[in-house]
Amino acid sequence: MTAGEPLIRWDWIASHGGVFVERGLQHIELTLIGVTVGFIIAFALSLLVLRYRRLEGPVTSITGTLYTIPSLALFALLVPYTGFTVLTAEIGLVSYTLLILIRNIVSGIRGVSPDVHEAAIGMGYTARQLLWRIELPLALAVIVAGIRIATVTTIGLVTVTALIGQGGFGALILSGMLTFFSTEIIAGAVLSVSLAIVADAMLVLLQQRLTPWVGAG
Amino acid sequence: MATQRGASVEFREVSKRYSDQVAVDRLSFTVPAGKICVLVGPSGSGKTTSLKMVNRLVEPSEGQILIDGTNVLAEEPTTLRRRIGYVIQQVGLFPHQTIAENVATVPRLLRWSGERIDARVTELLTLVGLDPRRYAKRYPAQLSGGERQRVGVARALAAEPPVMLMDEPFGAVDPIVRDRLQQEFLQIQRSQGTTVLFVTHDIDEAIRLGDRVAVMRGGRLVQFSPPAELLAHPANEFVAQFVGSDRGLKRLALLTVGGTELETDVDPARVEPKAPRLEPSMSLRDALARLLTSESELGLVYEDGRFRGALTLRQIGHMIRSDA
Ligand SMILES: Nc1ncnc2c1ncn2[C@@H]1O[C@H](COP(=O)(O)OP(=O)(O)OP(=O)(O)O)[C@@H](O)[C@H]1O
Ligand SMILES: [Mg+2]
Repeated sequence: MTAGEPLIRWDWIASHGGVFVERGLQHIELTLIGVTVGFIIAFALSLLVLRYRRLEGPVTSITGTLYTIPSLALFALLVPYTGFTVLTAEIGLVSYTLLILIRNIVSGIRGVSPDVHEAAIGMGYTARQLLWRIELPLALAVIVAGIRIATVTTIGLVTVTALIGQGGFGALILSGMLTFFSTEIIAGAVLSVSLAIVADAMLVLLQQRLTPWVGAG
Repeated sequence: MATQRGASVEFREVSKRYSDQVAVDRLSFTVPAGKICVLVGPSGSGKTTSLKMVNRLVEPSEGQILIDGTNVLAEEPTTLRRRIGYVIQQVGLFPHQTIAENVATVPRLLRWSGERIDARVTELLTLVGLDPRRYAKRYPAQLSGGERQRVGVARALAAEPPVMLMDEPFGAVDPIVRDRLQQEFLQIQRSQGTTVLFVTHDIDEAIRLGDRVAVMRGGRLVQFSPPAELLAHPANEFVAQFVGSDRGLKRLALLTVGGTELETDVDPARVEPKAPRLEPSMSLRDALARLLTSESELGLVYEDGRFRGALTLRQIGHMIRSDA
Protein backbone atom coordinates (compact mmCIF):
# COMPACT_ATOMS: atom_id res chain seq x y z
CA MET A 1 0.00 0.00 0.00
CA THR A 2 1.54 3.27 -1.08
CA ALA A 3 1.27 6.36 1.11
CA GLY A 4 -1.68 8.61 0.41
CA GLU A 5 -3.54 5.75 -1.30
CA PRO A 6 -7.02 5.21 0.31
CA LEU A 7 -7.81 1.78 1.82
CA ILE A 8 -10.57 1.26 -0.72
CA ARG A 9 -10.72 2.86 -4.12
CA TRP A 10 -14.38 2.81 -4.96
CA ASP A 11 -13.78 3.92 -8.54
CA TRP A 12 -11.64 0.81 -9.12
CA ILE A 13 -14.39 -1.36 -7.69
CA ALA A 14 -17.03 0.32 -9.81
CA SER A 15 -15.02 -0.27 -12.98
CA HIS A 16 -14.25 -3.94 -12.31
CA GLY A 17 -17.78 -5.47 -12.12
CA GLY A 18 -17.03 -7.76 -15.04
CA VAL A 19 -13.92 -9.18 -13.37
CA PHE A 20 -15.82 -9.86 -10.15
CA VAL A 21 -18.50 -11.79 -12.03
CA GLU A 22 -15.90 -13.84 -13.85
CA ARG A 23 -14.00 -14.61 -10.63
CA GLY A 24 -17.29 -15.34 -8.88
CA LEU A 25 -18.32 -17.89 -11.50
CA GLN A 26 -14.94 -19.60 -11.21
CA HIS A 27 -15.29 -19.63 -7.45
CA ILE A 28 -18.75 -21.13 -7.62
CA GLU A 29 -17.70 -23.74 -10.15
CA LEU A 30 -14.71 -24.88 -8.07
CA THR A 31 -16.92 -25.05 -4.97
CA LEU A 32 -19.75 -26.94 -6.67
CA ILE A 33 -17.45 -29.55 -8.14
CA GLY A 34 -15.64 -29.98 -4.82
CA VAL A 35 -18.80 -30.36 -2.73
CA THR A 36 -20.62 -32.54 -5.26
CA VAL A 37 -17.75 -34.96 -5.80
CA GLY A 38 -17.07 -34.89 -2.07
CA PHE A 39 -20.70 -35.73 -1.36
CA ILE A 40 -20.75 -38.64 -3.79
CA ILE A 41 -17.61 -40.14 -2.27
CA ALA A 42 -18.78 -39.44 1.28
CA PHE A 43 -22.17 -41.02 0.56
CA ALA A 44 -20.61 -44.21 -0.77
CA LEU A 45 -18.19 -44.40 2.15
CA SER A 46 -21.01 -43.74 4.63
CA LEU A 47 -23.05 -46.64 3.27
CA LEU A 48 -20.00 -48.85 3.63
CA VAL A 49 -19.44 -47.70 7.21
CA LEU A 50 -23.10 -48.29 8.07
CA ARG A 51 -22.96 -51.74 6.52
CA TYR A 52 -19.54 -52.82 7.78
CA ARG A 53 -18.98 -51.27 11.14
CA ARG A 54 -15.31 -52.21 11.29
CA LEU A 55 -14.61 -49.76 8.44
CA GLU A 56 -15.66 -46.89 10.66
CA GLY A 57 -12.29 -46.58 12.46
CA PRO A 58 -10.10 -46.52 9.33
CA VAL A 59 -12.47 -44.22 7.41
CA THR A 60 -12.66 -41.77 10.30
CA SER A 61 -8.92 -41.67 10.88
CA ILE A 62 -8.05 -41.28 7.18
CA THR A 63 -10.58 -38.50 6.52
CA GLY A 64 -9.68 -36.94 9.87
CA THR A 65 -6.00 -36.86 8.95
CA LEU A 66 -6.78 -35.33 5.54
CA TYR A 67 -8.78 -32.67 7.33
CA THR A 68 -5.86 -31.67 9.52
CA ILE A 69 -3.29 -31.20 6.73
CA PRO A 70 -2.85 -27.44 6.17
CA SER A 71 -4.35 -26.60 2.78
CA LEU A 72 -1.26 -24.83 1.55
CA ALA A 73 0.87 -27.86 2.34
CA LEU A 74 -1.60 -30.24 0.69
CA PHE A 75 -1.63 -28.29 -2.55
CA ALA A 76 2.18 -28.01 -2.49
CA LEU A 77 2.46 -31.78 -2.00
CA LEU A 78 0.11 -32.50 -4.91
CA VAL A 79 1.65 -30.12 -7.45
CA PRO A 80 4.61 -32.41 -8.36
CA TYR A 81 2.10 -35.12 -9.35
CA THR A 82 -0.86 -33.29 -10.79
CA GLY A 83 0.61 -29.87 -11.62
CA PHE A 84 -1.05 -26.49 -11.46
CA THR A 85 -4.41 -27.89 -12.50
CA VAL A 86 -8.06 -27.99 -11.53
CA LEU A 87 -7.46 -31.59 -10.57
CA THR A 88 -4.96 -30.55 -7.91
CA ALA A 89 -7.39 -27.99 -6.55
CA GLU A 90 -10.31 -30.42 -6.49
CA ILE A 91 -8.37 -33.26 -4.87
CA GLY A 92 -7.63 -30.89 -2.02
CA LEU A 93 -11.14 -29.45 -1.81
CA VAL A 94 -12.82 -32.87 -1.93
CA SER A 95 -10.50 -34.22 0.78
CA TYR A 96 -11.56 -31.51 3.17
CA THR A 97 -15.31 -32.16 2.73
CA LEU A 98 -15.16 -35.88 3.48
CA LEU A 99 -14.84 -35.86 7.26
CA ILE A 100 -17.79 -33.57 7.87
CA LEU A 101 -20.03 -35.11 5.23
CA ILE A 102 -19.41 -38.69 6.33
CA ARG A 103 -19.86 -37.80 9.97
CA ASN A 104 -23.22 -36.17 9.29
CA ILE A 105 -24.55 -38.79 6.87
CA VAL A 106 -23.66 -41.62 9.24
CA SER A 107 -24.93 -39.95 12.39
CA GLY A 108 -28.07 -38.75 10.57
CA ILE A 109 -28.98 -42.26 9.54
CA ARG A 110 -28.01 -43.75 12.90
CA GLY A 111 -30.15 -41.10 14.54
CA VAL A 112 -33.36 -42.51 13.04
CA SER A 113 -35.32 -43.74 16.04
CA PRO A 114 -35.26 -47.50 16.64
CA ASP A 115 -39.09 -47.59 16.79
CA VAL A 116 -39.37 -46.14 13.32
CA HIS A 117 -36.76 -48.60 12.15
CA GLU A 118 -38.54 -51.56 13.70
CA ALA A 119 -41.95 -50.50 12.44
CA ALA A 120 -40.62 -50.15 8.90
CA ILE A 121 -38.93 -53.56 8.87
CA GLY A 122 -41.91 -55.14 10.60
CA MET A 123 -44.27 -53.88 7.91
CA GLY A 124 -42.18 -55.34 5.13
CA TYR A 125 -39.78 -52.70 3.86
CA THR A 126 -36.74 -54.15 2.11
CA ALA A 127 -33.33 -52.85 3.22
CA ARG A 128 -33.15 -50.64 0.13
CA GLN A 129 -36.66 -49.21 0.61
CA LEU A 130 -35.81 -48.57 4.23
CA LEU A 131 -32.73 -46.57 3.23
CA TRP A 132 -34.32 -44.46 0.50
CA ARG A 133 -37.81 -43.95 1.85
CA ILE A 134 -37.24 -43.78 5.60
CA GLU A 135 -33.65 -43.36 6.71
CA LEU A 136 -32.38 -40.83 4.19
CA PRO A 137 -35.44 -38.54 4.34
CA LEU A 138 -35.26 -38.56 8.13
CA ALA A 139 -31.51 -37.93 8.09
CA LEU A 140 -31.90 -35.10 5.59
CA ALA A 141 -31.81 -32.25 8.09
CA VAL A 142 -28.53 -33.52 9.56
CA ILE A 143 -27.09 -34.28 6.12
CA VAL A 144 -27.91 -30.81 4.81
CA ALA A 145 -26.33 -29.34 7.96
CA GLY A 146 -23.15 -31.20 6.97
CA ILE A 147 -23.40 -29.91 3.40
CA ARG A 148 -23.68 -26.37 4.76
CA ILE A 149 -20.46 -26.67 6.75
CA ALA A 150 -18.69 -28.38 3.84
CA THR A 151 -19.84 -25.68 1.42
CA VAL A 152 -18.79 -22.77 3.60
CA THR A 153 -15.43 -24.40 4.32
CA THR A 154 -14.88 -25.11 0.64
CA ILE A 155 -15.71 -21.53 -0.38
CA GLY A 156 -13.00 -20.38 2.03
CA LEU A 157 -10.51 -22.94 0.77
CA VAL A 158 -11.11 -22.08 -2.89
CA THR A 159 -9.41 -18.73 -2.26
CA VAL A 160 -6.23 -20.68 -1.53
CA THR A 161 -6.41 -22.51 -4.87
CA ALA A 162 -5.54 -19.20 -6.54
CA LEU A 163 -1.99 -20.07 -5.54
CA ILE A 164 -2.05 -22.96 -7.98
CA GLY A 165 -3.53 -20.76 -10.66
CA GLN A 166 -7.21 -21.61 -10.28
CA GLY A 167 -8.82 -18.17 -10.23
CA GLY A 168 -11.83 -17.47 -8.03
CA PHE A 169 -11.92 -14.58 -5.60
CA GLY A 170 -8.56 -15.80 -4.30
CA ALA A 171 -6.98 -14.55 -7.53
CA LEU A 172 -8.06 -11.01 -6.58
CA ILE A 173 -6.52 -11.36 -3.13
CA LEU A 174 -3.33 -12.80 -4.57
CA SER A 175 -2.93 -10.12 -7.20
CA GLY A 176 -3.71 -7.43 -4.64
CA MET A 177 -0.98 -8.81 -2.39
CA LEU A 178 1.58 -8.94 -5.19
CA THR A 179 0.84 -5.34 -6.24
CA PHE A 180 0.30 -3.93 -2.73
CA PHE A 181 -3.21 -2.91 -3.77
CA SER A 182 -5.48 -3.10 -0.73
CA THR A 183 -8.72 -2.46 -2.62
CA GLU A 184 -8.35 -5.68 -4.59
CA ILE A 185 -7.47 -7.70 -1.48
CA ILE A 186 -10.49 -6.41 0.41
CA ALA A 187 -12.78 -6.91 -2.58
CA GLY A 188 -11.65 -10.53 -2.93
CA ALA A 189 -12.08 -11.25 0.77
CA VAL A 190 -15.47 -9.55 1.10
CA LEU A 191 -16.82 -11.25 -2.00
CA SER A 192 -15.63 -14.65 -0.81
CA VAL A 193 -17.26 -14.19 2.60
CA SER A 194 -20.46 -12.89 0.99
CA LEU A 195 -20.62 -15.90 -1.29
CA ALA A 196 -20.30 -18.17 1.74
CA ILE A 197 -23.09 -16.35 3.56
CA VAL A 198 -25.42 -16.46 0.56
CA ALA A 199 -24.69 -20.12 -0.11
CA ASP A 200 -25.38 -20.99 3.52
CA ALA A 201 -28.68 -19.09 3.52
CA MET A 202 -29.76 -20.84 0.34
CA LEU A 203 -28.98 -24.23 1.85
CA VAL A 204 -31.03 -23.34 4.93
CA LEU A 205 -33.98 -22.52 2.69
CA LEU A 206 -33.45 -25.73 0.73
CA GLN A 207 -33.45 -27.74 3.92
CA GLN A 208 -36.70 -26.15 5.07
CA ARG A 209 -38.29 -26.94 1.72
CA LEU A 210 -37.09 -30.54 1.82
CA THR A 211 -38.17 -31.25 5.41
CA PRO A 212 -41.63 -29.74 5.87
CA TRP A 213 -42.32 -32.04 8.83
CA VAL A 214 -39.57 -30.48 10.93
CA GLY A 215 -41.08 -27.95 13.27
CA ALA A 216 -44.62 -29.11 12.48
CA GLY A 217 -46.48 -29.53 15.71
CA MET B 1 -68.46 -61.04 12.32
CA ALA B 2 -68.90 -59.45 8.94
CA THR B 3 -66.00 -61.08 7.17
CA GLN B 4 -64.12 -64.04 8.57
CA ARG B 5 -60.73 -63.57 7.02
CA GLY B 6 -58.47 -64.19 9.99
CA ALA B 7 -55.93 -66.98 9.87
CA SER B 8 -55.12 -69.44 12.62
CA VAL B 9 -51.74 -69.09 14.29
CA GLU B 10 -50.05 -72.10 15.81
CA PHE B 11 -46.89 -72.24 17.89
CA ARG B 12 -45.32 -75.72 17.91
CA GLU B 13 -42.60 -76.27 20.47
CA VAL B 14 -41.06 -72.91 19.67
CA SER B 15 -37.85 -71.94 21.49
CA LYS B 16 -35.53 -68.98 21.24
CA ARG B 17 -32.12 -69.17 22.84
CA TYR B 18 -29.63 -66.37 23.07
CA SER B 19 -26.01 -67.07 23.96
CA ASP B 20 -26.57 -66.42 27.63
CA GLN B 21 -30.22 -67.31 28.16
CA VAL B 22 -33.42 -68.91 26.97
CA ALA B 23 -35.93 -66.21 26.01
CA VAL B 24 -38.72 -68.57 24.91
CA ASP B 25 -38.88 -72.20 25.98
CA ARG B 26 -40.89 -74.78 24.00
CA LEU B 27 -43.94 -72.65 23.53
CA SER B 28 -47.00 -74.40 22.08
CA PHE B 29 -50.49 -73.03 21.61
CA THR B 30 -53.00 -72.36 18.87
CA VAL B 31 -54.99 -69.21 18.28
CA PRO B 32 -58.10 -70.00 16.21
CA ALA B 33 -58.83 -67.78 13.24
CA GLY B 34 -60.50 -64.50 14.12
CA LYS B 35 -59.72 -64.71 17.85
CA ILE B 36 -57.66 -62.49 20.11
CA CYS B 37 -54.92 -64.15 22.10
CA VAL B 38 -53.34 -61.99 24.77
CA LEU B 39 -49.85 -62.80 26.01
CA VAL B 40 -49.31 -61.61 29.57
CA GLY B 41 -46.51 -62.08 32.01
CA PRO B 42 -43.88 -60.22 33.94
CA SER B 43 -41.09 -58.27 32.26
CA GLY B 44 -38.63 -60.49 30.48
CA SER B 45 -40.98 -63.47 30.24
CA GLY B 46 -40.56 -63.69 26.47
CA LYS B 47 -43.75 -62.01 25.19
CA THR B 48 -42.12 -59.67 22.70
CA THR B 49 -39.74 -62.36 21.51
CA SER B 50 -42.67 -64.70 20.86
CA LEU B 51 -44.48 -62.03 18.88
CA LYS B 52 -41.46 -61.14 16.80
CA MET B 53 -40.92 -64.72 15.79
CA VAL B 54 -44.28 -64.63 14.01
CA ASN B 55 -43.16 -61.93 11.57
CA ARG B 56 -39.56 -63.11 11.63
CA LEU B 57 -38.03 -60.07 13.23
CA VAL B 58 -36.56 -62.81 15.41
CA GLU B 59 -35.82 -66.29 14.07
CA PRO B 60 -36.72 -69.20 16.35
CA SER B 61 -33.93 -71.50 17.47
CA GLU B 62 -36.30 -74.44 17.34
CA GLY B 63 -39.88 -75.31 16.57
CA GLN B 64 -42.38 -74.00 14.06
CA ILE B 65 -44.89 -71.23 13.77
CA LEU B 66 -47.72 -71.95 11.37
CA ILE B 67 -50.15 -69.43 9.91
CA ASP B 68 -53.12 -71.28 8.47
CA GLY B 69 -50.94 -74.36 8.49
CA THR B 70 -48.00 -72.82 6.60
CA ASN B 71 -44.64 -72.44 8.28
CA VAL B 72 -43.68 -68.77 8.40
CA LEU B 73 -40.08 -69.75 7.61
CA ALA B 74 -41.26 -70.97 4.20
CA GLU B 75 -42.12 -67.47 3.13
CA GLU B 76 -39.91 -64.57 2.09
CA PRO B 77 -39.72 -62.26 5.16
CA THR B 78 -40.86 -59.05 3.44
CA THR B 79 -43.80 -60.81 1.75
CA LEU B 80 -44.77 -62.40 5.06
CA ARG B 81 -44.56 -59.09 6.94
CA ARG B 82 -46.79 -57.29 4.47
CA ARG B 83 -49.52 -59.82 5.31
CA ILE B 84 -49.14 -59.33 9.07
CA GLY B 85 -50.23 -56.15 10.80
CA TYR B 86 -47.72 -54.88 13.35
CA VAL B 87 -48.26 -52.35 16.11
CA ILE B 88 -45.62 -51.49 18.70
CA GLN B 89 -45.88 -49.56 21.94
CA GLN B 90 -43.88 -46.58 20.71
CA VAL B 91 -46.12 -46.69 17.61
CA GLY B 92 -43.19 -45.88 15.30
CA LEU B 93 -45.10 -43.63 12.93
CA PHE B 94 -42.86 -42.20 10.21
CA PRO B 95 -42.33 -38.57 11.26
CA HIS B 96 -41.65 -37.37 7.70
CA GLN B 97 -44.88 -38.72 6.27
CA THR B 98 -48.39 -37.41 6.71
CA ILE B 99 -50.97 -39.46 8.56
CA ALA B 100 -52.47 -40.54 5.23
CA GLU B 101 -49.07 -41.62 3.93
CA ASN B 102 -48.36 -43.50 7.14
CA VAL B 103 -51.61 -45.42 6.90
CA ALA B 104 -50.92 -46.15 3.23
CA THR B 105 -47.56 -47.79 4.01
CA VAL B 106 -48.32 -51.44 3.30
CA PRO B 107 -50.79 -50.81 0.43
CA ARG B 108 -48.05 -48.80 -1.25
CA LEU B 109 -45.51 -51.56 -0.70
CA LEU B 110 -48.07 -53.88 -2.31
CA ARG B 111 -48.50 -51.40 -5.18
CA TRP B 112 -52.22 -50.83 -4.84
CA SER B 113 -53.64 -48.21 -7.21
CA GLY B 114 -53.78 -44.62 -5.98
CA GLU B 115 -57.59 -44.53 -5.86
CA ARG B 116 -57.79 -47.77 -3.94
CA ILE B 117 -55.24 -46.48 -1.43
CA ASP B 118 -57.06 -43.16 -0.97
CA ALA B 119 -60.37 -44.91 -0.41
CA ARG B 120 -58.82 -47.31 2.08
CA VAL B 121 -57.09 -44.53 4.01
CA THR B 122 -60.33 -42.58 4.32
CA GLU B 123 -62.17 -45.70 5.43
CA LEU B 124 -59.56 -46.59 8.04
CA LEU B 125 -59.18 -43.13 9.54
CA THR B 126 -62.95 -43.03 9.93
CA LEU B 127 -62.89 -46.50 11.45
CA VAL B 128 -60.42 -45.47 14.15
CA GLY B 129 -62.35 -42.30 14.86
CA LEU B 130 -60.14 -39.70 13.19
CA ASP B 131 -61.88 -37.37 10.75
CA PRO B 132 -59.93 -37.84 7.48
CA ARG B 133 -60.50 -34.24 6.43
CA ARG B 134 -58.84 -32.98 9.61
CA TYR B 135 -56.10 -35.54 10.06
CA ALA B 136 -55.02 -36.95 6.69
CA LYS B 137 -52.62 -34.13 5.86
CA ARG B 138 -51.08 -33.70 9.31
CA TYR B 139 -47.72 -34.97 10.44
CA PRO B 140 -47.41 -37.35 13.41
CA ALA B 141 -45.86 -34.58 15.54
CA GLN B 142 -49.17 -32.72 15.27
CA LEU B 143 -51.16 -35.51 16.98
CA SER B 144 -51.74 -36.43 20.61
CA GLY B 145 -50.43 -39.71 21.99
CA GLY B 146 -53.84 -41.36 21.80
CA GLU B 147 -54.40 -40.18 18.24
CA ARG B 148 -51.03 -41.59 17.23
CA GLN B 149 -51.96 -44.96 18.70
CA ARG B 150 -55.10 -44.94 16.57
CA VAL B 151 -53.06 -44.17 13.48
CA GLY B 152 -50.75 -47.03 14.42
CA VAL B 153 -53.72 -49.41 14.52
CA ALA B 154 -55.11 -48.02 11.24
CA ARG B 155 -51.72 -48.45 9.58
CA ALA B 156 -51.48 -52.06 10.73
CA LEU B 157 -54.99 -52.81 9.43
CA ALA B 158 -54.46 -51.13 6.07
CA ALA B 159 -53.86 -54.11 3.82
CA GLU B 160 -56.52 -56.22 5.57
CA PRO B 161 -54.01 -58.58 7.19
CA PRO B 162 -55.32 -61.96 8.37
CA VAL B 163 -53.08 -61.65 11.43
CA MET B 164 -52.17 -58.68 13.62
CA LEU B 165 -49.34 -58.51 16.15
CA MET B 166 -49.72 -55.85 18.80
CA ASP B 167 -47.00 -55.25 21.39
CA GLU B 168 -48.38 -53.12 24.24
CA PRO B 169 -50.16 -50.91 21.72
CA PHE B 170 -52.06 -48.93 24.33
CA GLY B 171 -49.28 -48.78 26.91
CA ALA B 172 -48.35 -45.14 26.51
CA VAL B 173 -51.73 -43.47 27.04
CA ASP B 174 -53.69 -42.51 30.12
CA PRO B 175 -56.29 -44.94 31.53
CA ILE B 176 -59.31 -43.11 30.12
CA VAL B 177 -57.95 -42.99 26.59
CA ARG B 178 -56.76 -46.58 26.93
CA ASP B 179 -60.25 -47.64 27.94
CA ARG B 180 -61.74 -46.00 24.85
CA LEU B 181 -59.06 -47.41 22.55
CA GLN B 182 -59.65 -50.92 23.93
CA GLN B 183 -63.37 -50.64 23.38
CA GLU B 184 -62.95 -49.36 19.83
CA PHE B 185 -60.27 -51.91 19.09
CA LEU B 186 -62.61 -54.74 20.12
CA GLN B 187 -65.33 -53.43 17.83
CA ILE B 188 -62.93 -53.08 14.92
CA GLN B 189 -61.45 -56.51 15.51
CA ARG B 190 -64.90 -58.12 15.60
CA SER B 191 -65.94 -56.36 12.41
CA GLN B 192 -62.73 -57.23 10.55
CA GLY B 193 -62.37 -60.78 11.83
CA THR B 194 -58.60 -60.44 12.17
CA THR B 195 -56.66 -62.89 14.31
CA VAL B 196 -54.73 -60.92 16.92
CA LEU B 197 -51.74 -61.69 19.09
CA PHE B 198 -51.68 -58.99 21.73
CA VAL B 199 -48.96 -58.43 24.32
CA THR B 200 -49.59 -56.61 27.57
CA HIS B 201 -48.33 -56.31 31.12
CA ASP B 202 -51.78 -55.49 32.29
CA ILE B 203 -53.91 -58.41 33.43
CA ASP B 204 -57.09 -56.31 33.27
CA GLU B 205 -56.42 -55.52 29.63
CA ALA B 206 -55.76 -59.20 28.97
CA ILE B 207 -59.06 -60.21 30.55
CA ARG B 208 -60.98 -57.55 28.74
CA LEU B 209 -59.61 -58.17 25.26
CA GLY B 210 -58.61 -61.81 25.16
CA ASP B 211 -60.61 -64.70 23.79
CA ARG B 212 -57.61 -66.64 25.08
CA VAL B 213 -55.04 -65.50 27.60
CA ALA B 214 -51.55 -66.97 27.51
CA VAL B 215 -49.73 -66.42 30.79
CA MET B 216 -45.96 -66.60 30.40
CA ARG B 217 -43.16 -66.82 32.90
CA GLY B 218 -39.46 -67.20 32.19
CA GLY B 219 -40.13 -68.04 28.54
CA ARG B 220 -42.64 -70.76 29.33
CA LEU B 221 -46.37 -70.93 28.92
CA VAL B 222 -47.91 -71.32 32.38
CA GLN B 223 -51.56 -71.25 31.42
CA PHE B 224 -53.55 -70.89 28.22
CA SER B 225 -57.27 -70.40 28.76
CA PRO B 226 -60.23 -68.14 28.13
CA PRO B 227 -60.21 -65.26 30.64
CA ALA B 228 -63.13 -66.52 32.74
CA GLU B 229 -61.40 -69.85 33.13
CA LEU B 230 -58.15 -68.11 34.06
CA LEU B 231 -59.91 -66.20 36.84
CA ALA B 232 -61.93 -69.16 38.03
CA HIS B 233 -59.16 -71.76 37.90
CA PRO B 234 -55.66 -70.31 37.96
CA ALA B 235 -53.28 -73.14 37.07
CA ASN B 236 -50.94 -72.45 39.96
CA GLU B 237 -49.96 -70.02 42.68
CA PHE B 238 -48.02 -67.83 40.22
CA VAL B 239 -51.04 -67.32 37.99
CA ALA B 240 -53.31 -66.75 40.99
CA GLN B 241 -50.98 -64.02 42.22
CA PHE B 242 -50.59 -62.57 38.79
CA VAL B 243 -54.35 -62.24 38.21
CA GLY B 244 -54.62 -60.72 41.68
CA SER B 245 -56.52 -61.46 44.88
CA ASP B 246 -59.47 -59.54 43.44
CA ARG B 247 -59.91 -62.04 40.67
CA GLY B 248 -63.44 -62.74 41.90
CA LEU B 249 -64.30 -59.10 41.30
CA LYS B 250 -62.56 -59.21 37.95
CA ARG B 251 -64.74 -62.11 36.91
CA LEU B 252 -67.76 -59.89 37.39
CA ALA B 253 -66.58 -57.86 34.41
CA LEU B 254 -66.94 -60.96 32.24
CA LEU B 255 -70.42 -61.95 33.46
CA THR B 256 -73.64 -60.23 32.44
CA VAL B 257 -76.78 -59.45 34.35
CA GLY B 258 -78.73 -61.46 31.77
CA GLY B 259 -76.56 -64.51 32.41
CA THR B 260 -77.33 -64.49 36.14
CA GLU B 261 -80.26 -66.12 37.85
CA LEU B 262 -82.69 -63.38 38.90
CA GLU B 263 -85.26 -63.23 41.69
CA THR B 264 -88.61 -63.22 39.99
CA ASP B 265 -90.91 -63.08 43.03
CA VAL B 266 -90.35 -59.37 43.41
CA ASP B 267 -93.00 -56.80 42.69
CA PRO B 268 -91.25 -53.85 41.05
CA ALA B 269 -94.00 -51.51 42.24
CA ARG B 270 -93.39 -52.41 45.90
CA VAL B 271 -89.60 -52.03 46.14
CA GLU B 272 -87.94 -48.88 47.27
CA PRO B 273 -87.84 -46.17 44.62
CA LYS B 274 -84.07 -45.90 44.81
CA ALA B 275 -83.57 -49.38 43.32
CA PRO B 276 -81.71 -48.80 40.02
CA ARG B 277 -82.85 -50.15 36.67
CA LEU B 278 -80.46 -52.61 35.05
CA GLU B 279 -80.22 -54.09 31.57
CA PRO B 280 -79.42 -57.73 30.80
CA SER B 281 -76.44 -56.73 28.62
CA MET B 282 -74.73 -54.96 31.50
CA SER B 283 -71.72 -56.59 33.14
CA LEU B 284 -72.14 -57.69 36.75
CA ARG B 285 -69.31 -55.33 37.63
CA ASP B 286 -71.20 -52.32 36.31
CA ALA B 287 -74.37 -53.59 37.97
CA LEU B 288 -72.55 -53.87 41.29
CA ALA B 289 -71.27 -50.32 40.91
CA ARG B 290 -74.83 -49.13 40.29
CA LEU B 291 -76.16 -50.94 43.36
CA LEU B 292 -73.41 -49.66 45.62
CA THR B 293 -73.83 -46.05 44.52
CA SER B 294 -77.62 -46.21 44.82
CA GLU B 295 -77.42 -47.68 48.34
CA SER B 296 -80.03 -50.21 47.30
CA GLU B 297 -79.87 -53.93 48.04
CA LEU B 298 -81.31 -54.84 44.67
CA GLY B 299 -81.66 -53.66 41.10
CA LEU B 300 -84.57 -54.15 38.71
CA VAL B 301 -83.77 -55.79 35.42
CA TYR B 302 -85.78 -54.71 32.41
CA GLU B 303 -85.47 -56.03 28.90
CA ASP B 304 -87.14 -53.97 26.17
CA GLY B 305 -89.27 -52.33 28.87
CA ARG B 306 -90.45 -55.65 30.31
CA PHE B 307 -89.61 -56.53 33.90
CA ARG B 308 -87.43 -59.67 34.04
CA GLY B 309 -86.59 -59.89 37.73
CA ALA B 310 -84.39 -58.45 40.45
CA LEU B 311 -80.65 -58.75 40.97
CA THR B 312 -79.51 -58.67 44.59
CA LEU B 313 -76.14 -58.04 46.23
CA ARG B 314 -76.32 -61.54 47.65
CA GLN B 315 -76.53 -63.05 44.18
CA ILE B 316 -73.57 -61.00 43.03
CA GLY B 317 -71.62 -62.19 46.05
CA HIS B 318 -72.54 -65.74 45.14
CA MET B 319 -71.22 -65.23 41.59
CA ILE B 320 -67.92 -63.90 42.98
CA ARG B 321 -67.48 -66.96 45.14
CA SER B 322 -68.66 -69.62 42.69
CA ASP B 323 -65.82 -71.63 41.13
CA ALA B 324 -63.29 -69.47 42.88
N1 LIG C 1 -31.46 -59.76 21.25
C1 LIG C 1 -31.38 -60.32 22.46
N2 LIG C 1 -30.22 -60.81 22.93
C2 LIG C 1 -30.15 -61.40 24.13
N3 LIG C 1 -31.19 -61.54 24.97
C3 LIG C 1 -32.37 -61.07 24.56
C4 LIG C 1 -32.55 -60.42 23.30
N4 LIG C 1 -33.85 -60.07 23.18
C5 LIG C 1 -34.44 -60.44 24.31
N5 LIG C 1 -33.58 -61.04 25.15
C6 LIG C 1 -33.88 -61.58 26.49
O1 LIG C 1 -34.95 -62.47 26.37
C7 LIG C 1 -35.85 -62.34 27.46
C8 LIG C 1 -37.26 -62.10 26.95
O2 LIG C 1 -37.33 -60.80 26.37
P1 LIG C 1 -38.67 -60.21 25.83
O3 LIG C 1 -38.35 -58.89 25.21
O4 LIG C 1 -39.34 -61.20 24.96
O5 LIG C 1 -39.50 -60.01 27.16
P2 LIG C 1 -40.95 -59.37 27.37
O6 LIG C 1 -41.79 -60.42 27.98
O7 LIG C 1 -41.43 -58.75 26.11
O8 LIG C 1 -40.63 -58.25 28.46
P3 LIG C 1 -41.28 -56.81 28.65
O9 LIG C 1 -42.60 -57.03 29.30
O10 LIG C 1 -40.32 -56.13 29.57
O11 LIG C 1 -41.37 -56.15 27.31
C9 LIG C 1 -35.33 -61.20 28.31
O12 LIG C 1 -34.68 -61.73 29.43
C10 LIG C 1 -34.36 -60.49 27.42
O13 LIG C 1 -33.29 -59.96 28.15
MG1 LIG D 1 -41.81 -56.70 25.51
